[in-house]
Amino acid sequence: MKETKNAAAVETASKKDGAKAMDAKLKTRKLRTAVGAVVFVGMAAGLIAGVSMGTLSGFGWDTFSLLCPLGALGTMIATKTMIPRAVVSLLLIAALVLVFGRAFCSWLCPTMLIDRVRDFFRSPKKRRELAEKKNSQIKAVSQQEIEGLKAAKAGHACGACGKCQPVKHGKVDSRHAVLGGALLSTAIFGFPVFCLVCPVGLSFATVLVIWRAFAHGDATIGLILIPAMLVIELVVLRKWCSNFCPLSALMNLVGRFSRTFVPVINDEKCLETARATSCSKCAEACEADINIRHPEFGLRTMADCTRCRNCVDVCPTKAITMPIFVGKKAGKTVVEIPEPVMDDDLRPSLD
Amino acid sequence: MILEEEESMAEEKKEGAAATSADVAEAKRTPGGGITRRGLFIGVGSTAVLLGLGGLRYAGHNPINRPPGGTDEAHLVSGCIRCERCYEACPRQAIVPAKIEDGLLGMRSPMLDFNTGNYCDFCYEENGGVPLCVQVCPTEALELPADYTVGNPETGETGDIIIGTAEIDPRTCLAYRLTGCRDCYDACNYGAIELKDEGGANPIPYVVEDKCNGCGACQAVCLSLSSGSIKSSERAIVVRPIQG
Ligand code: SF4
Ligand code: SF4
Ligand code: SF4
Ligand code: SF4
Ligand code: SF4
Repeated sequence: MKETKNAAAVETASKKDGAKAMDAKLKTRKLRTAVGAVVFVGMAAGLIAGVSMGTLSGFGWDTFSLLCPLGALGTMIATKTMIPRAVVSLLLIAALVLVFGRAFCSWLCPTMLIDRVRDFFRSPKKRRELAEKKNSQIKAVSQQEIEGLKAAKAGHACGACGKCQPVKHGKVDSRHAVLGGALLSTAIFGFPVFCLVCPVGLSFATVLVIWRAFAHGDATIGLILIPAMLVIELVVLRKWCSNFCPLSALMNLVGRFSRTFVPVINDEKCLETARATSCSKCAEACEADINIRHPEFGLRTMADCTRCRNCVDVCPTKAITMPIFVGKKAGKTVVEIPEPVMDDDLRPSLD
Repeated sequence: MILEEEESMAEEKKEGAAATSADVAEAKRTPGGGITRRGLFIGVGSTAVLLGLGGLRYAGHNPINRPPGGTDEAHLVSGCIRCERCYEACPRQAIVPAKIEDGLLGMRSPMLDFNTGNYCDFCYEENGGVPLCVQVCPTEALELPADYTVGNPETGETGDIIIGTAEIDPRTCLAYRLTGCRDCYDACNYGAIELKDEGGANPIPYVVEDKCNGCGACQAVCLSLSSGSIKSSERAIVVRPIQG
């Protein structure tokens, strides 16, 4: 019973200042925001000043280009020709994703910056509410898992309670359907259809259209329409990156084979496995909707890990690392329930 | 984002619960081989939207002047991913992203705008006659034949890359009002503008279409709209895109 009390104490504490405490711990997130902002501002400034380096849709100088993989596919399907620079870009990006997974999403993509801006403008109350909601869900999962395992030990099947249903992870999800739709439309109508509405392109287009309005008096409805499209995609459509983005779908296809820099939990240190205490801070912090502690309960799987390091940063016992190479697929560790050995000073620190 | 997560998870939970109560075997099956019902809904909805956007191909857009190598309109629209590299590369800032007013299909694709006072010299001065926009375009949406000559301002040759053809509107051209304006004539490097009554009191310019390559220098200098008395949406001399 002692651990239940402990867990309850942890929970109340985390409800009080969980959101703030977690934000303070996300050191890499600050770095990522800075990296993303520097790259975006640099490229946007280049666009304005006419420095040839391209945008994230087509980065490069002179004749060198690193094309967006979806643009590369789209343009080749639409023109029905092999385009050398597109093929080279596809191969290069596949290699990068194989090594770094969807790192683009959490380190460079402008939607990540837009998200940060949204966070910034949320009232502290709203932020706390959101954090608490997520916290209570993840908590429910982790408590059920721990209880379930104990029950299993005692001869009961897990899932008898069944409050939290595991998510069935198919080989493909809704994003792949969007990707298929985009490529189908491109094949039928013969132009890279998705490029019209791509949030990455629209982010740069927003800067450009605003700057042109000021510098050249170029008034156009685009001034309203371009940002409006971004708002529809990133705010109205819920969870763009996990549910809609066809680029994320493409990266997922390659990312599932990645064995490098994948976060792994050391079960001997993890509070849940070593102390049978509900924690799952890592799952709460994950921006890619992965539950790294209980993978079958997360919306997405490790194939979508963006190497954001949130989980590494928040883990109270520093149980998560991102080794250069992981032999087998991470996240398959078996939760063993040891005898509870919870001391007060081993409780997860929440500051 | 977090709230949204909550909602989507809640939905999935609901689905799972409903399935279990209906039939245990049923719960193992998710519609669309692993895609949840919500996922299927997103996929079908988005595909419909993307197919609708694709239909813009038939809506087309207003004819606009394209950079060198982009005058095959169908090819340009097929290839361009709107990366704006050509926009950045143009040393004369003649390229601008096309506006939505000219049609949604062409939005943010490259367009030459001569009303800003800039024109295209086929990068003769800056890159020895190799258009930089074509050079940087990663998708070959801007593409030139292996063999070509560009307009040469030194010899006055027109070259064989034609962007469009200049057209003078006598109703708005200042010279037709006997002001003696001949700015476009002075601007043309390829002898494509000649004067009626040259040397007379009121020379009037006209375009020799065979010599014009659509560089836009004439439109870039045309003063008709700044004279104040002329009400028109266009300058008196404008380059019309060649019909590809
Ligand atoms: S698993 Fe960890 S590193 Fe990967 S996306 Fe989630 S929080 Fe980031
Ligand atoms: S945050 Fe660390 S201690 Fe907590 S569940 Fe995740 S790995 Fe275990
Ligand atoms: S050829 Fe040169 S000057 Fe002409 S549009 Fe292209 S980049 Fe600009
Ligand atoms: S460089 Fe090519 S693909 Fe990029 S915007 Fe210009 S024409 Fe389009
Ligand atoms: S008439 Fe105008 S567009 Fe034609 S070549 Fe001369 S300056 Fe260029």
